[in-house]
Amino acid sequence: MTDPLFYVFYSVTHYSLNSSGKTFLLALGFCLYFSFFSFAQSPDSLNQHPPILTLIGDDTLDIDEGDTLIIAVSSIDLDGTIPLLTAENLMDSAAFIDSLNGQGCLVFAPGFEQEGNYEILLIASDGVTADSVTVAITVNDITVFRTSRIAVLVFMLIFSGAVLLYTNWAKKGKTLFVRRIPGIDAVEEAVGRATEMGKPVLFIPGISDIDDIETIAGLAILGRVARITAQYDTPLYVPVRYPMILAAGQEVVEQAYLEVGRHDAYDKDTVRYVAGEQFAFTATVNGMMMRDKPAANIYMGAFFAESLLLAETGNAAGSIQIAGTARPEQLPFFIAACDYTLMGEELYAASSYLSHEPLLLGGLKGQDFVKVILVAVIILGVILMSFDIGGWFKHLFVVP
Amino acid sequence: MGFWENIQHIDRRWIYLLVAIAVFFPMIVVMHFPIEITPEARQLYEAIDALPNGSVVMLTFDYYPSAMAETQPMSIAALRHMFSKDMKVLTLSNIPLGGPSIAERVTREIALEYDKVYGIDFVNLGYKANYVAVMHGLASSIESIFPSDYSGTPLRDLPMMKHVKNYRDIEFIFVVADNATVDYWISIVNAQYGKPVGSGVTAVVAPKMYSFVDAGQMTGLLGGMKGAAEYERMVDISGSAIRGMDAQSLVHLLVIFFVIVGNLGFFMSRGKDGR
Amino acid sequence: MRTTVPVIVAFLSGFVMVVSFFFNPDRTFIGRAQDVVLQWVTIVSGFTLVLGVFSIVRVNGRAVVRRTEDWPFKLATVISVFAMAIPAMLPVSTTSVGGKIFYSILPQSWGSWFGTGTGSIYDWLFNFVDSPMMETMFAMLAFYIASAAYRAFRARSADATLLLLTAVIVMLWRVPMGEAFLRLFGDSIPDYLNTFIMNGFNVAVQRGIIIGAALGAASMSLRVMLGIERTYMGKG
Repeated sequence: MTDPLFYVFYSVTHYSLNSSGKTFLLALGFCLYFSFFSFAQSPDSLNQHPPILTLIGDDTLDIDEGDTLIIAVSSIDLDGTIPLLTAENLMDSAAFIDSLNGQGCLVFAPGFEQEGNYEILLIASDGVTADSVTVAITVNDITVFRTSRIAVLVFMLIFSGAVLLYTNWAKKGKTLFVRRIPGIDAVEEAVGRATEMGKPVLFIPGISDIDDIETIAGLAILGRVARITAQYDTPLYVPVRYPMILAAGQEVVEQAYLEVGRHDAYDKDTVRYVAGEQFAFTATVNGMMMRDKPAANIYMGAFFAESLLLAETGNAAGSIQIAGTARPEQLPFFIAACDYTLMGEELYAASSYLSHEPLLLGGLKGQDFVKVILVAVIILGVILMSFDIGGWFKHLFVVP
Repeated sequence: MGFWENIQHIDRRWIYLLVAIAVFFPMIVVMHFPIEITPEARQLYEAIDALPNGSVVMLTFDYYPSAMAETQPMSIAALRHMFSKDMKVLTLSNIPLGGPSIAERVTREIALEYDKVYGIDFVNLGYKANYVAVMHGLASSIESIFPSDYSGTPLRDLPMMKHVKNYRDIEFIFVVADNATVDYWISIVNAQYGKPVGSGVTAVVAPKMYSFVDAGQMTGLLGGMKGAAEYERMVDISGSAIRGMDAQSLVHLLVIFFVIVGNLGFFMSRGKDGR
Repeated sequence: MRTTVPVIVAFLSGFVMVVSFFFNPDRTFIGRAQDVVLQWVTIVSGFTLVLGVFSIVRVNGRAVVRRTEDWPFKLATVISVFAMAIPAMLPVSTTSVGGKIFYSILPQSWGSWFGTGTGSIYDWLFNFVDSPMMETMFAMLAFYIASAAYRAFRARSADATLLLLTAVIVMLWRVPMGEAFLRLFGDSIPDYLNTFIMNGFNVAVQRGIIIGAALGAASMSLRVMLGIERTYMGKG
């Protein structure tokens, strides 16, 4: 690497690493180019020492099909001769170029049918003695279908099957037991209390965008809450952080008012965009809490550092507070400052639970069934690993 | 209403005042307590330290200015560590507000101390929306996601980027974050592309990250300002995290004091009621 | 129709993301499809920003016009929205979009004030107004945590006492002063806390919640994809 020409060559060829066939040819071109510009040295002494061949980098490499690998080698001969470099066991799509200055490179761009292990012997010879290095290359198979992810597919099929099975049973009229979730029961109570007090209900569907499933869960619960507020004619405030939630939230609330026959009571500004920045949003909502003193604050969705700021302000304002989030790191704050907290999966169950629809409850039962399977798998894994015989079992769950 | 009942219903502004005093006091009286290193912080330091000099590393600035007190000392300490080992540092942010400009300012400041040159020793990619798509996209080509750097210079004009095309060319990813992006660095970049990822996160997020460290999906962890102080100690610098430890110590002790007093009030007033 | 089309769109979008996960992006288009869908999401989000600006101006503008309580604050909100947005969108030089016409009216030296680069109005407002306000809000957490801890941490039952003691010990351990105090009772105590509380109980609980939440999210996604759960689009 001390030869400036080689440095330039190495830079250029390295630039083309991981590229496809076109760059392979480019790299090959550069190798040939430098092979013609680097033949100035000549042997001028007796041949007493064997040449020394050095590999620049590891001798065990792996590469995906479709990528390009470049391996550089350097050799010296203490007698002053320039060793001749060659390679044996070369496979298709591989070429070795001797720059004729003691340095050379192997360029290998495996195609999509060249999965396997290869060993290439690189040789430096001064005509009398020689030195060699073996390079082991593993070419990883890049298949159209990612077979390494088959475990996920199996899990997905079991999961979907269980949910659909229970949903189907529910459709056929089978009674499904779902345990009481006090936090969800409290939602109806809280709205009732707000109605009695003549004060509004504040609902926040989290502060994430619509691509977060927690937000979808929050919006689904909003639909249920809006139905109750529409029936009782209780004012509802829904401040949101993202314009996409604004559009979706307005649709949800308007539809809820429409379905209970109270479309005339629907105010388009029930759902309002407040601010895109997290703490600007928090400050505005805190202001709403202190000014309007909502009887109930309902937080359902993804929350971050603002969780305690909101919940403490709501507590100071004397509101009844119900929170639900799947973010474990925010749960302690909600538990400390709210009256009820839905933890993790309870958030996703809330909409189905509030609906009392057997079809939706069927989904919950399916989920529970899979959870039982998972618990069994975890226990089995713990036992196998404890006896140091679970390597194969662990490997089943590795998904690259 | 008796004393203990009054204590139970104390105006919360008194609590705020005491917290403010606890934060200000160490600015006048400096106390120095030894900072012990946790195994998770040491694992992160050693993972970076074990990389050969000149390796390419990625440092993310996935935090808003609001969390700078906890996260910026981590970024600074990491940069000092990386530049001292002549590493090539690639920075980016998945946060639209603040992250990219903090990355630009902080990296350039630290680079000056180590005579590092922009474009050769470090590059700031800036921000691109939709971090899930960004994390997937960087696996195939950095240039396809970031055709130009934060200042608009095309990547092909930056010498360092001639050797850095995708995750394969990056040895280690150090995620400094105050939000959920760190979960995706684990579930996408580590799990699907096999890149070693270490992280520095706010104290609130840290407990969740222990499970990733334990599972081997995350290589080391710095939790909050204490984590930053540990890294500063290992890099042997006296940064703002070490200085902030005094204030944090006092506030923690104050909160413990509040808990004790609150419980005393609870039991004493309950005893009076004869319950 | 109003329900059927969105359900079909939701199903197809979800289906593409799921199928794409199993195919190699280097070899098939379907493998790259999830990136394409995610890019569409970004583009659609960009357009909805207009809705957000419209909402914020309408709600606050109406309050200003009607002179409701605290209307000056609402006016400040509207002014702030435009003070940040307009200079950021103006052309920075004659080579920018619309720059030629713009700088035929205004001096070119004003260009450095516009856009989002260093020294621009946007940059100044962000660094010296927005950023300190964000930091202040986040710093307020310390006060709120102290107040919440004072009010909520009560040894009402055996499990609440256990929670309280654990919290106190972890709070001590996470600061140098507390750690020095704990070491008075034994040099290995901080290491035990790290091993048993953070890497033991904490990890177990976090994993339990994460696994449960992930299953809940998967179940919810499936219900949305199959059109069983339609409340989020105002139906059901």
